[in-house]
Amino acid sequence: MVDLLLDLALSLAAGAALLAVYRLLMGPGAASRAVAMDVLSLIIMPMMAGYALYSGRMIYLDVALVYGILSFLGVTSLARYADKGV
Amino acid sequence: MDIVTLFNLEDLLICAVILVAALGAVLHRNLLAAVVFAGVVSLAVSYLFLRLSAPDVAMTEAAIGAGITTVIFLIAVRRTEEVEREEP
Repeated sequence: MVDLLLDLALSLAAGAALLAVYRLLMGPGAASRAVAMDVLSLIIMPMMAGYALYSGRMIYLDVALVYGILSFLGVTSLARYADKGV
Repeated sequence: MDIVTLFNLEDLLICAVILVAALGAVLHRNLLAAVVFAGVVSLAVSYLFLRLSAPDVAMTEAAIGAGITTVIFLIAVRRTEEVEREEP
């Protein structure tokens, strides 16, 4: 039951990632693309944490941690580019 | 182990995200958008590596692909030009 619910939650999160990719594809300008990339990283990071719960291996949480820090770096540099250059 | 037990629905959706973002990275004329698409590809591929139980590869992919490559490509796009020219 718990596995089924986690599977359902991860599938809903992946569908949300697909919607964010639609905004990334269509969005006008750099600002909406930066926001879409931020939304995508904020969706995939809890998916990693949920998969760590699903599989019971705690090393996966470290991957989610590194991923969160570095995607923040990427989105911040993108927003800085949209403001006044890197 | 067949393909149905190896991949379930969320992995297929993440694969769709990777496919759409890779096509956008190849086909888009605006280079800033192409850089963002390439970052999204490496982010989603990192989840796929995690799903295939390779957490060290996933961590390296997140560090190199999402962090370093996006910043270096952004610096390169700023120093050159943002929109790709038509072929002569």
